[in-house]
Amino acid sequence: MGSSVQKAIELILSADPELLNILSVTARVCLTSSVFALLIGVPLGILLGAERFPGRKVLLVLNRTLTGMPPVVCGLLFYMLFSGVGPFRHLHLLFTVKLMIIAQVVLITPIVIGLMETFVADTSPVLRETARGLGFSRAKEYGLLMNECLYSVFSAYLLAFARAIAEVGAVSMVGGAIAWKTNVMTTAIMMYTNRGSFTLGIALGLILLTLSLLVNIILSVMQGRLSR
Amino acid sequence: MKKIVSLILALVMVFALAACGQSAAPKAAETPAPAADAAPAEEAAPAEETAPAEEADAMVVDTCILKEADDAMINNYSLLAVNPEAPFVDADGNAVEDVAVNTVGAAALINWLLSEEGQNLAANFGFEEYGEYLFYLKDERPISTAEIPAATEETKKIRLSTTTSVNDSGLLGFLLPIFEEKYGYDVEVYSAGTGKSIANAKMGNADLILVHSKKQEEAFIEEGFSCVIDGMDTERLNWMYNYFVLCGPSADPAGVKDAADVKAAFKAIADGKYTFISRGDGSGTHTKELSLWPEDLGITAEAESFKDYTEWYISANTGMGACLVMAEEMGAYILTDKATFLTFVANDGVMG
Repeated sequence: MGSSVQKAIELILSADPELLNILSVTARVCLTSSVFALLIGVPLGILLGAERFPGRKVLLVLNRTLTGMPPVVCGLLFYMLFSGVGPFRHLHLLFTVKLMIIAQVVLITPIVIGLMETFVADTSPVLRETARGLGFSRAKEYGLLMNECLYSVFSAYLLAFARAIAEVGAVSMVGGAIAWKTNVMTTAIMMYTNRGSFTLGIALGLILLTLSLLVNIILSVMQGRLSR
Repeated sequence: MKKIVSLILALVMVFALAACGQSAAPKAAETPAPAADAAPAEEAAPAEETAPAEEADAMVVDTCILKEADDAMINNYSLLAVNPEAPFVDADGNAVEDVAVNTVGAAALINWLLSEEGQNLAANFGFEEYGEYLFYLKDERPISTAEIPAATEETKKIRLSTTTSVNDSGLLGFLLPIFEEKYGYDVEVYSAGTGKSIANAKMGNADLILVHSKKQEEAFIEEGFSCVIDGMDTERLNWMYNYFVLCGPSADPAGVKDAADVKAAFKAIADGKYTFISRGDGSGTHTKELSLWPEDLGITAEAESFKDYTEWYISANTGMGACLVMAEEMGAYILTDKATFLTFVANDGVMG
């Protein structure tokens, strides 16, 4: 492990242009996909949690199933759909960062929905009673709920981001790990492992974990401020 | 919402800092070695696939070349243009007519690789750095004198589906920028084992393929997936080669070194049930290995075919480098391309 740590430091210090490219593609893919997943997942999760309507239970079960979808299955599905012979071939999206983001959004959104639903289903009955007692309008009621949710939105984002940055199955299938274009940290680690450069793989893994740690520290500090 | 926006901005900044800030960081000037070692892929990989790592203690590699330069071990690399009129089918087996294939771009790249300039560059690749040629030109190779058109908006993107060895060796990383610079194309390299590369092309995701498995190439042509480009007389443009080598523990318990030829050597391994690591991934190396076993064993790519040999025949299903590490750990025999093996030995301890 010692040599891997050393290698990781050397890698960063060398400021290798390919490594920098991998880092920037990684950042682009996992930040965009986690934000999109948040934008789609939070409203849906709040709706599922706060409202009672026929079919809600079915949707919940479906969502929980999607939460457990193996990334590689998701990747394979998108590969087939956007392949040169697939139904969406005219969009020319295979092996692009865009499709990697779309695949990740599909993977991550169910997690955000599930998390928000759990939280809202727990808090909304009490909150609703209070709001009704105060004579709030429905819009205001949701405003209040949103305000209460902010803390768990952070948690949901952290989870979404973690899933996005750690994921390899889907991005390697739809991205193709093309150098300078769609190669991200996880696919690069796969590549080095296949070549037998285990130490280099671990070094990249350490960099990945460090970045993840930084992001988590910043978000957690912000989340802490919020709760005060 | 403002909070979330500022938060996202903060995140972006973290990444920007991590990605860009390092270039300003002081480089390890006093030790030139680390920077060179640390650079991934193209620089660090002199040979077929980049140097496999050993344990940190840099134990001496025991695996050595036991059989080489046998005619049966020749490793031919070919270029094939994808036929835009190929009988493409979707996942359900329905014919798909309008698959987008950049034939003009594929022809441009092929013509350049087969031009005098491209051939000379490929033939001399690696010699300056490693004192050894990594690829040789065939005597009867196709040579192109066709004029190469500059890229246009429609033909700019060329999708090359290729075997890992030419990519990991740094050959493509060396050749393609020269081609791109000169004619304005943008070549996207999808690198996988030969089997997967060909499958990718059959799904309409490649304009040309560069692979090294005659059998699979011929099947590809047979099925109508390849076309003859203008000025060439055949689909399969076989222009470079190098050699596979049979490696194993220096003690050589199977006596491979003294075998009459490589087929006899494989027979000796099978007869003595000495551990053998197979790539097992449908790659060109795997296909070559399958052709070298005694026929009565009936070893094919199907798992069923070697179920009785699992005590000694190990189907690893991974890259060349990882397989070499495995062979070294287990004191096993293995078939590899020579360049990958040379890097494996040369980088032992350095990469670790």
